[in-house]
Amino acid sequence: MFLNETQEEVRATTRSFVNNVVRPAAETLDREERFPTEIYDEMGKLGLFGIAVPEELGGPGFDTLTYAVVMEELSRGYASVADQCGLVELISTLLVRHGTPEQQKMLPDVMSMKRKVAYCITEPEAGTDVSGIRTTATRDGDGWVLNGGKIWIHNAPVADTGFVLARTDKEAGNRGMSIFIVDLHAKGVERGPKEHKMGQRASQVGGLDFQDVRLGADALLGEMNRGFHMMMSVLDKGRVGIAALAVGIAQAGLEAAVDYAGTRKQFGKHISEFQGVQWLLADMAKDIEAARLLVYSAAMKIDRGLDATRACSMAKCFAGDIAVSRTADAVQVFGGSGYIRGFEVERLYRDAKITQIYEGTNQIQRMIIARELLRKGAEA
Amino acid sequence: MKILVPIKRVVDYNVRVRVRTDGSGLELNNVKMSMNPFDEIALEEAVRLKEKGVATEVIAISIGVPQAKDTLRTALAMGADRAILVHATDDVCQDIEPLSVARILEKIIKSEAPQLVIAGKQAIDNDMNATGQMLAAALGWGQATYASAIEVQNNTVLVTREIDGGLQTLCLKLPAVVTTDLRLNQPRYVALPAIMKAKKKTIDEISIKTLGIDITPRLSILSTAEPPKRQAGIKVKSVDELVSKLKNEAGVL
Repeated sequence: MFLNETQEEVRATTRSFVNNVVRPAAETLDREERFPTEIYDEMGKLGLFGIAVPEELGGPGFDTLTYAVVMEELSRGYASVADQCGLVELISTLLVRHGTPEQQKMLPDVMSMKRKVAYCITEPEAGTDVSGIRTTATRDGDGWVLNGGKIWIHNAPVADTGFVLARTDKEAGNRGMSIFIVDLHAKGVERGPKEHKMGQRASQVGGLDFQDVRLGADALLGEMNRGFHMMMSVLDKGRVGIAALAVGIAQAGLEAAVDYAGTRKQFGKHISEFQGVQWLLADMAKDIEAARLLVYSAAMKIDRGLDATRACSMAKCFAGDIAVSRTADAVQVFGGSGYIRGFEVERLYRDAKITQIYEGTNQIQRMIIARELLRKGAEA
Repeated sequence: MKILVPIKRVVDYNVRVRVRTDGSGLELNNVKMSMNPFDEIALEEAVRLKEKGVATEVIAISIGVPQAKDTLRTALAMGADRAILVHATDDVCQDIEPLSVARILEKIIKSEAPQLVIAGKQAIDNDMNATGQMLAAALGWGQATYASAIEVQNNTVLVTREIDGGLQTLCLKLPAVVTTDLRLNQPRYVALPAIMKAKKKTIDEISIKTLGIDITPRLSILSTAEPPKRQAGIKVKSVDELVSKLKNEAGVL
């Protein structure tokens, strides 16, 4: 109802790919914690990376709503795969907006996953509070020297190129950070061990250490000392993406629960005939639909150039919370089976948890919503 | 060489179909519709022939309701160069008979002059399996049905057909009509950039009235019924009882 013909077509084509390729592979990928190169190659060919990249730069040039639709559908198959799409989307959006023509030449490789990227913000002392970063880039001739360390970086164990937030002016706070494009195979870059996570286990996450890594003059992305603002400028879109990802996880849980309730028999009848189970399913469905509509609303605000900050935080926060609570319900519908490794809902419950944490914790999202309310008023 | 691919908009193969309460047909309101899977295979084959340089243009054609335009957009995104929609009815529940479809296609083919028509062997809604054959007869062209391989050589097309007990290969003079079986190919997923490109391709819309063809139905559907519910299985106590039931009740021994 909210989607136009083109968006419906994108949904249909993504869904058929996900049903045939992604969803059947998810349980194995989770168990093996493996980076699914073969799936990403295929997604690159289908144009599922870099969805907003304009046609003149080789992308399909879709809007944020279409991106949200793709994220939900991919995540319905496997959240790790969707998160890879989200990561490439942020990096390519930064390159499109702030990259020089020379830097933009890497876009085709980024979108085909020939070049794997990492977005390197978080540090031990700087998680939600980005202003605490200690990684520094100091001037050296016409280039820079990079020193410091990053943790919990998505793709760090496998990435070729890092987009690294580093301090370029110690005194200037948020106005003293810049983003650098760093060759992660270069001298002085060391990768930490791969983390073993609770969920989204096909996503490779680890640390990166930079010791006197020399950067050329062309390594700076966008304007000097504007790194924090560039990062913030893609934050709204990032939140919509993660909100859609959370909806996709919950949707997969609902589908699995409805199927199971209609086949599992106890006391001589399908458990779907028990009101207790019906209410679980009904509550799951209405929360998921509400979250989806929050996502659409936030995405449409971005696409229309409206102030979307409150809407994006509400979508991210609500979708993340219901992804956790409603996949827990899906486990409940499955009973003992839902607690066993290899059953989809068991994985979904684990995959959901991080959606309350990454892309700004849900506590921060509530702070933002309240701040926006108090600053701009409560009008809808 | 031009290839024409007829495309039918049918109930999506994933939808659990329901019979309308009055038995007049299937419930089509608020039901997901998509391209007939056999037509998707036909289109994929045509696009592959174009990618190999054998074909120069692939034209997708659909006949029916205005919403069939959506299905043609998908065809364009899959790689058809342009599309034609013949507006023949406004009612999604009104099916057009194979003979009428063949007559409409015949008329279009006379003006478009394709060398090859690749069609699905049947539509999954009413399983008629007749349009391709009727079209070939109307045009006086050679036909090969149930194709599992197609190879164009000069002025001929080699078609491997799945028949009882094995494979048969036919050589047809062009122009010809070929209908596709399930194993001919695996249709591609539509790439996102292709969806955007498809928006710029043209869909010519023609009204059935301008073709001067009589499409009055010659068949009428008397009733539509759901298949009987599957009976529950039974447990037997011994091998003897099993053998006796297989012999006397199932009649398979």
